[in-house]
Amino acid sequence: MKRLMITEFRRNLKSLILWTSIVAGMAALMLLMYPAFKDTFAQLEDLLSVYPEEFLEAFGMGEGGLDMSDFYGWFGVEGYLFVNLIGGSYAAILGGSILSKEEDDKTIEFLLSKPISRSRILFGKAGVVALNLILLNTFVGIVLLIAFTIYGDLNVPVWLLYSYAPFILQMIFASISFFISVFVTKSRKVLSIGLGFVIGLYVVDLISKLTEEFEYLKYITPYEYINAVTIVNDEMIKPLYLLISILMIGLSFFGAWYFYRKKDITA
Amino acid sequence: MIKLDALTKYYKKHARGILDVSLEIKKGEIFGFIGPNGAGKSTTVRTLLNLIFPTSGTATIDGLDIVSDTIEIRKRVGYIPSEVNFYGDMYVKDFILYACSFHGEIDQVLMDSLVDKLELDLTRKIEDLSFGNKKKVAIVAALITHPKILILDEPTSGLDPLMQNMFFQLLETEKKNGTTIFFSSHNLSEVQRICDRVGIIKEGRLVKVESVEDIMKTRAKTVRIKTNDVFDITDDMVNVEHLNGTVSFVYKGEMKSLMKMLSILEIEDLSITEPALEEIFMHYYEREDVK
Repeated sequence: MKRLMITEFRRNLKSLILWTSIVAGMAALMLLMYPAFKDTFAQLEDLLSVYPEEFLEAFGMGEGGLDMSDFYGWFGVEGYLFVNLIGGSYAAILGGSILSKEEDDKTIEFLLSKPISRSRILFGKAGVVALNLILLNTFVGIVLLIAFTIYGDLNVPVWLLYSYAPFILQMIFASISFFISVFVTKSRKVLSIGLGFVIGLYVVDLISKLTEEFEYLKYITPYEYINAVTIVNDEMIKPLYLLISILMIGLSFFGAWYFYRKKDITA
Repeated sequence: MIKLDALTKYYKKHARGILDVSLEIKKGEIFGFIGPNGAGKSTTVRTLLNLIFPTSGTATIDGLDIVSDTIEIRKRVGYIPSEVNFYGDMYVKDFILYACSFHGEIDQVLMDSLVDKLELDLTRKIEDLSFGNKKKVAIVAALITHPKILILDEPTSGLDPLMQNMFFQLLETEKKNGTTIFFSSHNLSEVQRICDRVGIIKEGRLVKVESVEDIMKTRAKTVRIKTNDVFDITDDMVNVEHLNGTVSFVYKGEMKSLMKMLSILEIEDLSITEPALEEIFMHYYEREDVK
């Protein structure tokens, strides 16, 4: 399994570097803009006050929300969303393609003629997904560490949460796509479905915040589980959300394993 | 060494897979498995490798069950697929090392010898190789692990005649070393050349298992005669067709009788050729003729 993981990691390294650069680049860009906006926040707040409260809450700027004059608040409103959307897209693409690509390219015939069980193939690949996402977030974390240290006092729990909470969201999208890829073996189709989840659940997140009527929808969107307001104000991820996340990830991987062991490889 | 017992596989989407296939292949034997495209050859191979699960029936390789002991089986088996689909972005050398890594240490002497015999360039990327060269990579990757059993699915397609020759020599060496070989093909002549016994699969059913010696004896010829003379059509002549003064038929009888008959005819043109495999299936191994 070690050799499989090393080979798989190498094969995905270029795309990891590319996506990490994009995510970290976006985070850095947003943080670089902070000093330029710092002095105009009073005017910005006047401007924002004309928007309805629900609208501001949807973007984390409502009452009890984030303070944009503080750089942790600024990043929560301006940078964190990009990290989650772009990082989530990468996770969905990686999780959805790592297994299905073998069937789509028909290389699975080679792999399954070797003395390695389907379970090991599956968990080896899932391990590579997790490792890649940890590396991506670690790199983003380094960018955040540098920026937060330059701008003022480093709040270690907030920094750690900003760096690794997206990992939870990414693992949810990766594991769901991974599960789907057991059944939908055309890589392109899996990617469309996976990316649909990333965008669709963000829309669900907005709806749950914009309307009280649909507030309950927040329980099904990973964007809520790791939202920046809780990270900055409470320095935590709510235990219920953490539990739901672990269950979603666990069930998706378990389901993938359960069905993959017994499926016909017809590629 | 390889035993199939009423092995059956139905596909959900496509009605036919294989039905009730039973056969036994002895240790050190080269068994040819022939049939036209879609007859069930690849389904049988895929079931043996546990890429797909049997609907019913069982099979064992080296006494191990193909479903429950598949990992142990794969340690003993070398497989050459009909279509070579390997990781295009890998270099040939890295790929062979990767293939070996599942089995343990690489036998460098064997690798050098195989690479030399097959004239394989290790420094190229797999995606840059021709179909034939990809096939060579598959041959090296299968033989390098010292398999006890070789499962070959149309292994010679894409190889030029010289390389086919080399490949057959390699198989003969493997046979001498006691390797059991399951050789699936739609090419009767190559199966005749290398195999001890032949199984013929048609529409998912194994219709005949015979030694190559016997199949040679009973083999038919396609005869085409251009003549104005009239001659009797005997029971040994099947699939008789008349076209523009040419009579063609598949002849299953004694060659001597045919020559005798031909000698008294005024012949403008004559050809006696190997029948196409299709013709054998259509007319020689008709279902009522077999078993």
